[in-house]
Amino acid sequence: MAALQEKKSCSQRMEEFQHYCWNPDTGQMLGRTPARWVWISLYYVAFYVVMTGLFALCIYVLMQTIDPYTPDYQDQLKSPGVTLRPDVYGDRGLDISYNVSDNSSWVGLVHTLHSFLAGYTPASQRGSINCSSEKYFFQESFGAPNHTKFSCKFTVDMLQNCSGLADPNFGFEEGKPCFIIKMNRIVQFLPSNSTAPRVDCAFLDEPHRDARTLQVEYYPPNGTFSLHYFPYYGKKAQPHYSNPLVAAKLLNVPQNEEVVIVCKILADHVTFDNPHDPYEGKVEFKLRIQK
Amino acid sequence: MSRKTLEIYSVELDGTKDTKQTDQEDDKKYNDLDLKKSHQKEELKRELDLDDHKLTSEELEQKYGTNIITGLSSARAAEHLARDGPNTLSPPKQTPEIIKFLKQMVGGFSILLWIGAVLCWIAYGIQYVNDKSASLDSVYLGVVLALVVILTGIFAYYQEAKSTNIMASFSKMIPQEALVIRDSEKKVIPAEQLVVGDIVEIKGGDQIPADIRLLSSQGCKVDNSSLTGESEPQPRSAEFTHENPLETKNIGFYSTTCLEGTATGVVINTGDRTVIGRIASLASGVGSEKTPIATEIEHFVHIVAGVAVSVGLLFFIIAVSLKYQVLDSIIFLIGIIVANVPEGLLATVTVTLSLTAKRMAKKNCLVKNLEAVETLGSTSIICSDKTGTLTQNRMAVAHLWFDNQIFMADTSENQLNQAFDQSSGTWASLSKIIALCNRAEFRPGQENIPIMKKVVVGDASETALLKFSEVILGDVMEIRKRNRKVAEIPFNSTNKFQLSIHETEDPEDKHFLVVMKGAPERILERCSTIMINGQEQPLGKSNATAFHTAYMELGGLGERVLGFCHLYLPEDEFPESYPFDVDAMNFPTSNLCFVGLLSMIDPPRSTVPDAVAKCRSAGIKVIMVTGDHPITAKAVAKSVGVISASSETVEDIARRCSIAVEQVNKRDARAAVVTGMELKDMAPEQLDEILANYSEIVFARTSPQQKLIIVEGCQRQDAVVAVTGDGVNDSPALKKADIGIAMGIAGSDAAKNAADMVLLDDNFASIVTGVEEGRLIFDNLKKTIAYTLTKNIAELCPFLIYIIVGLPLPIGTITLLFIDLGTDIIPSIALAYEKAESDIMNRKPRHKKKDRLVNHQLAIYSYLHIGLMQALGAFLVYFTVYAQQGFWPTSLINLRVRWEKDELNDVEDSYGQEWTRYQRKYLEWTGYTAFFVGIMVQQIADLIIRKTRRNSIFQQGLFRNKVIWVGIASQIIIALILSYGLGSVTALSFTMLR
Repeated sequence: MAALQEKKSCSQRMEEFQHYCWNPDTGQMLGRTPARWVWISLYYVAFYVVMTGLFALCIYVLMQTIDPYTPDYQDQLKSPGVTLRPDVYGDRGLDISYNVSDNSSWVGLVHTLHSFLAGYTPASQRGSINCSSEKYFFQESFGAPNHTKFSCKFTVDMLQNCSGLADPNFGFEEGKPCFIIKMNRIVQFLPSNSTAPRVDCAFLDEPHRDARTLQVEYYPPNGTFSLHYFPYYGKKAQPHYSNPLVAAKLLNVPQNEEVVIVCKILADHVTFDNPHDPYEGKVEFKLRIQK
Repeated sequence: MSRKTLEIYSVELDGTKDTKQTDQEDDKKYNDLDLKKSHQKEELKRELDLDDHKLTSEELEQKYGTNIITGLSSARAAEHLARDGPNTLSPPKQTPEIIKFLKQMVGGFSILLWIGAVLCWIAYGIQYVNDKSASLDSVYLGVVLALVVILTGIFAYYQEAKSTNIMASFSKMIPQEALVIRDSEKKVIPAEQLVVGDIVEIKGGDQIPADIRLLSSQGCKVDNSSLTGESEPQPRSAEFTHENPLETKNIGFYSTTCLEGTATGVVINTGDRTVIGRIASLASGVGSEKTPIATEIEHFVHIVAGVAVSVGLLFFIIAVSLKYQVLDSIIFLIGIIVANVPEGLLATVTVTLSLTAKRMAKKNCLVKNLEAVETLGSTSIICSDKTGTLTQNRMAVAHLWFDNQIFMADTSENQLNQAFDQSSGTWASLSKIIALCNRAEFRPGQENIPIMKKVVVGDASETALLKFSEVILGDVMEIRKRNRKVAEIPFNSTNKFQLSIHETEDPEDKHFLVVMKGAPERILERCSTIMINGQEQPLGKSNATAFHTAYMELGGLGERVLGFCHLYLPEDEFPESYPFDVDAMNFPTSNLCFVGLLSMIDPPRSTVPDAVAKCRSAGIKVIMVTGDHPITAKAVAKSVGVISASSETVEDIARRCSIAVEQVNKRDARAAVVTGMELKDMAPEQLDEILANYSEIVFARTSPQQKLIIVEGCQRQDAVVAVTGDGVNDSPALKKADIGIAMGIAGSDAAKNAADMVLLDDNFASIVTGVEEGRLIFDNLKKTIAYTLTKNIAELCPFLIYIIVGLPLPIGTITLLFIDLGTDIIPSIALAYEKAESDIMNRKPRHKKKDRLVNHQLAIYSYLHIGLMQALGAFLVYFTVYAQQGFWPTSLINLRVRWEKDELNDVEDSYGQEWTRYQRKYLEWTGYTAFFVGIMVQQIADLIIRKTRRNSIFQQGLFRNKVIWVGIASQIIIALILSYGLGSVTALSFTMLR
């Protein structure tokens, strides 16, 4: 074994390396003659081209088996997530605080709401139809133009006081802010059996000092998502679909104090008790209004 | 190192003359000898100036406080025992257990994983300082990595400890006892309780239990061959005969054997302070060289670690330049390292080696050092002893000559098949002489033991003759009883014959029969007639010539030849009551009738020729090294095939062509017989030339010291050399060799300590079995490593793609560990059970520098071919899972940032569905699980591919290795448990697959 442990001097190593890089005796470069290098490169190019081709073919076949309208599995989307606008995140989840007397502290929030609602102007909802049935809007066939299905209009004016039309500040400056609650889309999801899903906002369970209940004005009235927005048939079938919204105007938020508010969606098929997912079926947020 | 060993060792053994020279030479070369060693050497020299051999008994009594008649008192002995310790050789210095353990903890890949773990914790620390709510993921990962290192460390340590224990238990198997006089009583005590000053008695057959100064001796002879290499028995007496303690006759050395006679002596040194003890401890102090497999594994670790670190750093830099946060990049780095390092592999290698070691132990090869298992497989030269290894270590009748004909006898281990013609009248007479003119006897009480295994009292040739005649004639003792012995002259070196006079078995026949055997020429001198076909004929010239031809022929075979003759005494001159007097020789000892010749040899073991042939076809050169006479050595070499039937030595050619030896073209000869004398005068270059040019070499008349020179010569040829040895003197050669093989039966403890392997049955054929196992393990390790490396690409690609293309992470670091340490472990061990492929013993031994365990072919094939396919396959599974859940492949590209943002709870998929962060995470875990299962399933296919290297899978048999199927089953079961059983443990990130 002694031979293996012979220490080579640096110059020897360099020489060996040089010899490896270019071997004048055999015309080998890095251990192969240029011709052999060409062949081996060709081989690898061919090999990888074939492999890539196979992979592409597999992906193509995979895509052929995928239904473009409905996902194969929806086991991981049993209950929709819920989001809130304006959405300002702190260390742990949504954390909204502003000072009533300081315009600049809430101008950003208001701006978020305006830009969010820009997608709900009558102009942008032009592709959808007016619905008023308050019942599930099942569509078996593709009745809409371009082989699509109809979507129901949800326009910003349905949010009334919280539409930003009458009060462009969404009540922020008077300490009675509007929050917009959106339920995530799930293809072919039916939230409940008969009654429309309803938003319910309240202080989070921690016993509040004066045990007041949160007074909320909901828009549309009762805070319901009308059933005619369901079921959702997917992006391809309903390219113009917009999520229905509910605005909650909080009327008695204590000032100069951080409160935690939770808005749940009450419906037969919406769960909000998943311990791992704080945004499933409900949305929690901290709110602090300074005066 | 080796020169030094030689030197130290010659200091011990060759007295002072040769040493000075070596000393000077070596001092020049090694003037940087470390202090400790030279100190030891000095101490050794000083202590060797023993003067006990010069002292008188009284002075000895005084010096050791003992009494020659009554011995030590028990109390005194206990005192000495407490002072000097037990009389045993201390085992070679062991590394402390804790160091061994820590070595396992930081060796190999462990250090990389430790770095990974520490980086994880640092990353968490930084995150925690910035943001108290940082996720604990990286802490978990760090803990898991640390656990992995610790567990594999403990495992490897345990495996090694276990194999060390096998050896330890072996060395304790033979307890020695000594007959000692204490308190005026003779007691038998374990030899390890002997102390300085004890009076011990030894008799023929005993091993001398300590260094003793003889006080009295009756015909005591010792075998010092294990110490000095002299194979002649050395007489021992109480007289001081030489200044040098090694030469004087009144000292007996520890571990040498007393061959005959009895002696009493006083113990002057015990344990490690004995001469042998000091040689042994020095020989074992010489650091062993790294085994080839250790080098290979180191090489492999370097390659993999190099790849891991460089790919990791490369992508760290890429990640940083792609504006990833440094902390994230560190996590990527860890992921890449973890993906690249085969965590389970080193443990697998250890298990594989110990499995093979166990299998070899069953085949009588006890492996002391796990890694030596493989070394044996890469052996390209075996230097084997002759006696006991190639031969049976006993004499047996090989040929007979009578009626002008040579007959061959069966020399196999049981000798049952004695097929020569026994109808001649000459044979009847010859067999009678063989049976009668013999002093050897079976020890009583062995009726049920096969003849060849019976213990005989008598020397080797007489034993051979006794057993030979017992096999052919039946009960020899009975024959001797019927032919009562009336007088006898035992063999002595002046007469060179042995004679006895018997009554004949026919009660009517009152003749006496004189039978005689001895050196053939002496016997012939005393004969005037010769028996041919049962008839006495005058011994004419033609008969004498025939005799000489036969004698030369048998002698030329290296056999010990004996002549036999007899004479019926005339009844009238020697009546029944004739007083035979062996001193006066009042009976005729000439003009006898010559009956025949018989030749004996130490016959080769019957399994050896096959084994040697196997070695040859496996490209292993077998060199025979023996202290025997060149002719005998050559004869044995020819009979076992070390020199094959068709090859000739220079001398043979010279004889055949009737030309002078010098005129022969040396290239024509394939075989060479080199004697110790020639070797002594040879320059290393000449030895190199011989070793390179002749394929069949026998070294005869060599001393154990020269074995070392031969080993070094072989190693200069870049060969991996295996050496067998049994004597203490062999231990430097055993150490020097790449693999030292000690004899389990004949071997001394020192040799066993120095060796890497112990042959329990002293049989050369076991070495060849070992070679086969060694090659098998190399092949199988290659398979295991190829199997393990393949998935590295499949594990690495996710991270690379994740960083560059921005897909949601396909597989998590912890999940990777479940592949490396969960599903893949048992299958990779299962590959160790793979049977040998057809050509395993028909190819050249691997070249230790060119045929690496992990060469670039293996790496490229594993990484760039199979590994890549595996990666593609696993990605396909991953894309399928995402696509079926709503994220089509195209939508995944560059999704990473949005995907991982905690604030985004409405990320849209290809169908327009919106996903919260947790829902996405859960999907990501499903992706991990799918990717995991993808790799696992492909590893099953990989396992089947890797079953063979050269054979086709059908040649090798799909179901021959059942363990592979156990491995596959385990893979599937572990995967099922992980994905369906542990779905609720979020830290493991497994989810159920549909």
